[in-house]
Amino acid sequence: MLYEQKPVMARMFFREAVTRAVREEMTRDPHVLILGQDVGSFGGSYREFDGLYKIFGPERIRDTPVAEAATVGIAAGVAAAGYRPLVSITYMDFLMLGFDALINYAAKLRYKTAGGLSAPMVVKTTAGAQGQGVAHSQCIEAWLMSVPGLRVVAPSTPADAYGLMKTALRSDGPVVYIDHKRLFPTPGDVPVTETSIPFGQACIRREGTDLTLVSHGYMMRVACDAAQIVAQDGISCEVIDLRSLAPLDIDTVAGSVERTGRLLTLEEGQTVCGVGTEVATRTFERTGPKPWMRIGALPAPVSSNPVLEAACIPDAPRVADAIRTLLTR
Amino acid sequence: MTHIDPVGALRAMLMIRTFEDTLARRKEHGFQLLSSGEEAVAVGLASALGAGDQLLTGGRSIGPALARGVAPERVMAELLGKSGGMNQGRAGRGHMSDPEVGFFGAHAVVGGNISIAAGVAMARQLDGDGGIVVILFGDGACGAGALHETMNMAAQWKLPILFVCNNNQLSVSTTRDAALAVANLSDLGATFGMWTRTIDGLDVQGVAAAARDAVRYVRDGLGPAFLECKSIRLRSHSTTARETRSRAELAELQTHCPIRRHADALQADGMLDDAQLEQMRQDAATEIAQAMAYAEASPYPAAQEVLRHVV
Repeated sequence: MLYEQKPVMARMFFREAVTRAVREEMTRDPHVLILGQDVGSFGGSYREFDGLYKIFGPERIRDTPVAEAATVGIAAGVAAAGYRPLVSITYMDFLMLGFDALINYAAKLRYKTAGGLSAPMVVKTTAGAQGQGVAHSQCIEAWLMSVPGLRVVAPSTPADAYGLMKTALRSDGPVVYIDHKRLFPTPGDVPVTETSIPFGQACIRREGTDLTLVSHGYMMRVACDAAQIVAQDGISCEVIDLRSLAPLDIDTVAGSVERTGRLLTLEEGQTVCGVGTEVATRTFERTGPKPWMRIGALPAPVSSNPVLEAACIPDAPRVADAIRTLLTR
Repeated sequence: MTHIDPVGALRAMLMIRTFEDTLARRKEHGFQLLSSGEEAVAVGLASALGAGDQLLTGGRSIGPALARGVAPERVMAELLGKSGGMNQGRAGRGHMSDPEVGFFGAHAVVGGNISIAAGVAMARQLDGDGGIVVILFGDGACGAGALHETMNMAAQWKLPILFVCNNNQLSVSTTRDAALAVANLSDLGATFGMWTRTIDGLDVQGVAAAARDAVRYVRDGLGPAFLECKSIRLRSHSTTARETRSRAELAELQTHCPIRRHADALQADGMLDDAQLEQMRQDAATEIAQAMAYAEASPYPAAQEVLRHVV
């Protein structure tokens, strides 16, 4: 080859990448539906469904009342009966109201029917802190990772938001797709041709030799900023974006930790029984014990008070300090 | 079916009662949710449904599944955890399903199947195939938020769904009057503008007639309907739950048994004599003995299958 062929990219915002994936899948498959609060002509609370209502109309895009329990249940039922609903839950905190249908019914349907029925549904929900207070800021993805039958993904870039949503809408069981309030207005390159990203494949965002830093979602930006800060001190971090939390790509993480010899996990949720704890346990089952630390929110609710919110949530200087500490071990 | 066959209805109710009694007598049946006293609701309701309709229920699902036409031997095997069950023994009590015969399934979280049923009804509406969905639940589910949320959305979207409350008047030990503030449970449906009726759930022909009316209303696209059937529970909540009622109370309840009542009515009308009734009892015993023999002979799943069909 005289020159390397690169895919042609288009620049777009994270929210536009979500819209594009949903639009393409709704066009391709008439069984794809959207249910949720303010998803119709309003276009979604973060405009992530902008313009879709005009194309697909009220039959396939249904505004629901404030009734998360029934909405998730109706989605599970319509999925079991042959459709592919996307349910929008405005804040991940509110998904707790829909846990019965999601966890007790949808996640177990294939198992209890011996493969006879399944619930191919996507719960798209928004995690994370952005000044909205104790019941609108939580990251509870670690709770969901432990549910057999549930897949959980959390993109951090527009390209992944696009590619993972495509896969989610074609999956044969329930998927929780977690985006983050702070990611919607972020731009990035997305392939112009239709592509999808398989679940269970982490991505190495930055190569390094001294330490492996693993994160997902919005905290990936914090991780990359921290890696940049310590690079000035000559510290080389390998930064891994999990992208998919269930299934989890331990091959990529363990391979990296074998090379670097150290693991730092970073998440915006709680560290107790958290994503990082799970990643570390499963990594060290492969590699044997290595020096590691975990960073997450402090063990307190996330207030809308700007000082308290910032104090609770990890930031790049805090992560950089942890990197330096870990390198002394 | 346009009219219920009165003799066939008796046969169906006897089969359900015999099935449950046989299951309860077997040692190591696991704990089971029996529906003795509620057979008229299951049989009357099922008589109003067509092949393209789907029935969903709460956990107390043996009678409704049999009335809907799931093969008794497959139900028995399923309840005993055997591979010959309709779900290969994985679903068991409270979770079995057989959509091919119109039994979309049970879900044993009280109230949990109501929103699922509305979703199945939404699929029927989108498909435009004329099929309707029936969700059967107990009075215990009437305090659950999921019911109220679902009724609102079903009414708003005119979903083809019939809500049927089998009001056996007890939620484990809590009486319906102690738990629910509304006068009639069908008033809950009326709040959302539904067709509603409260009827005697011990009269199989009355249930059949009301169900027929309700099904027609829903099938005509007029929106959801709510039918409350007042029944009784002749057994304790489950085969392992403590009975909270006195022997005298239970004996009094037995005088209201819907099967005895229907048999008496048929005999009074000259449609059935003692010999025929005895023959029907024997036929039911034979059929259920065969179902039990099939279930006993069916193997348990291999332990290695525990990780199959998870995702």
